[in-house]
Amino acid sequence: MTSIEYQRSTAPATERARRPWVDTLVRIFRYAGVRLIGSLFAVVIGVYLTVLIANMGGYVDDIRRGQIREAVVLSMMSNPEIGRLSSEEYQALIEKQVEVEERRLGLHIPFPIRSFRYLWNALTLNLGYAEQLTSDSGSKLVRLIILERLPATLVLFATAYILLFILAISAALFLSRRYGSFLDKVVVALTPSSAAPGWFYGIFLILIFASALKILPFGGLVDAPPPESRIAYFLSVCKHLVLPTAAIFISSIFLTIYSWRTFFLIYSSEDYVEMAKAKGLSSSQIERRYVLRPTLPTIITSFALMLIGLWTGAIVLETVFNWPGLGRLLYQAIGMHDTPVIVGSTVIYAYLLAVTVFLLDIIYALVDPRVKVGAGGARP
Amino acid sequence: MRKTSSDSALLRIEGLRLHFKTMRGTVQAVDDVTFSLNRGRTLVVVGESGCGKSSLARGILRLLPRNVETYSGKIYLNGDELMCLTDERFRREVRWVRMSMVPQAAMNSLNPVVRVEDQVAEPLLVHKCVTTREEAYERAREAFRMVGVPLDFMTRYPFELSGGMRQRVALAMALVTDPELVVLDEPTSALDLLTQANIMNVLKQIKKDIGVTFILITHDIATSSELADDAAVMYAGQLVEFCDAGRFYLDPLHPYSRGLMGSVPTLWERKDLMFIPGQPPSLLDPPKGCRFAERCPDRFDKCEEEPPLTEVDVGHWVKCWLHR
Repeated sequence: MTSIEYQRSTAPATERARRPWVDTLVRIFRYAGVRLIGSLFAVVIGVYLTVLIANMGGYVDDIRRGQIREAVVLSMMSNPEIGRLSSEEYQALIEKQVEVEERRLGLHIPFPIRSFRYLWNALTLNLGYAEQLTSDSGSKLVRLIILERLPATLVLFATAYILLFILAISAALFLSRRYGSFLDKVVVALTPSSAAPGWFYGIFLILIFASALKILPFGGLVDAPPPESRIAYFLSVCKHLVLPTAAIFISSIFLTIYSWRTFFLIYSSEDYVEMAKAKGLSSSQIERRYVLRPTLPTIITSFALMLIGLWTGAIVLETVFNWPGLGRLLYQAIGMHDTPVIVGSTVIYAYLLAVTVFLLDIIYALVDPRVKVGAGGARP
Repeated sequence: MRKTSSDSALLRIEGLRLHFKTMRGTVQAVDDVTFSLNRGRTLVVVGESGCGKSSLARGILRLLPRNVETYSGKIYLNGDELMCLTDERFRREVRWVRMSMVPQAAMNSLNPVVRVEDQVAEPLLVHKCVTTREEAYERAREAFRMVGVPLDFMTRYPFELSGGMRQRVALAMALVTDPELVVLDEPTSALDLLTQANIMNVLKQIKKDIGVTFILITHDIATSSELADDAAVMYAGQLVEFCDAGRFYLDPLHPYSRGLMGSVPTLWERKDLMFIPGQPPSLLDPPKGCRFAERCPDRFDKCEEEPPLTEVDVGHWVKCWLHR
């Protein structure tokens, strides 16, 4: 039987045996490609729904038509020459002006067709002009307004997520070794703290550290006159980052440690961990190669789900901390009925989510060789 | 590392005890087991499920779960006492260098996210048996060849292999460091009959080629007869009979061994398959006297007391009052 199997698999496999890395790369690229298409599809659908909702399924057009007519009539009335026209001519002129204006705005095209144009504009970040809000540089371009806010959000959430991931994974690994210890019980007992969102803790943190102790700022990105030197600016941003990061951190850390510790516990009772011990690997080697590595895919999945949840919490958190990020922008835009900015922010959020999930998917494929595109075909 | 000693016993175990603590009390999984095994021989350990066979393997390899209560006795490997070694020295000097194992469920005994060649070469690198990675992979290739795994399977992941192939990989892993003793814990019980036979043939070939010492733990008496030089019968955590395989398969002495042999179907022979009534006693609170007395067809008054393990013939040990 052995010899038969051997002959059957020799021909295509000798090359394969020589370059396992090429194999891995091909697998990951194929996987990434399929995932990319999937993510784009999700973004397109999400943005299209936003376009439909933000335009109330076309009802906004009627409002805008009314507004145009009103504006045209008003501008006519301020024109003294209008009085000389007969009433029919006057009406005809209004209709003509309204039509020109509607044409200029593209309102003469039926909404379903126009919605796809909006979709395309949104996807290409061709977001038009804001109605009320302006960027700090004074521009009314939605794209500029959003791009100005994006770094602040990215800095805050990247700091919080990276910190959360590293600390949670080491704490979880540590506790899985000391299963049932006092510390373990404390963490399990604190898990319900994650029932409250980050901004909830943010309010208390502001009360304690900014209001009572006066050691950290209430909110904002930097001190009121921004420091001149780069180093001072950086330090000031760091100081302002402490509280919002802590708020996100506190609201997620215990639940994350608890669930990851449980994953580690499950995976460390696998037979191959026992084998690794029998093979005489040191406990740190076992932990790294036989517990952490096989558990990583599961942990990354759980982390991805958590990130998706946290992005949506950004709106309130940034508002509480007066953080000049996307979330606060969206909050302001909703307050001012600034539709282009609302649509723009949502589009950016959709992109951020898709990029996050896409990156995590790639990492997932890197750490788990079992992840492949297609069910049967990929098996060698 | 290997010493040649005048003592021809490769493995000698004296009074090995392994008790576990559970919610309901102490489980005496291995209780006072004593035997010795000569170099190059294969010992088959048989017994019903739950009689302490796997625990014996764990005891020998010092693979203890968290809830160990007692772990005592003496284990001599090639004359060196192992029980007095610290865990760290045991790990460095004994694990996989001198003793290795093939686990019960090879399906799950390979790390799913590491290529099999890396897993097979790993012990060589960890124990610094080789100086370079290339050398380690060369040795791994040799081991794969020995167990009959096509070399192009080396770069695969465990999930890409069949059950039989995985078991062979586990075997290659056990042999790669060239250990003195390999403990096989029911290596074929999860496989189909053809694959079982294949693995058995591989084991036989290896035994012939490199003369390694095996301890084969199994409940499949018929298949194990292919490989056995010596046989040990475990019952309720104790060793009840230890002898040459030839004698064991033809004419065992202990009533329990007889019962076991009688339950093995044979071809061409018209016989009613025997079975032993009842169940093995709970190891939580084993009976005071002979542990088999309750199910023994030849029970008599003396069985209230525990019989000693007695050498009735040269190299033939029985723990029964009938054979003194």
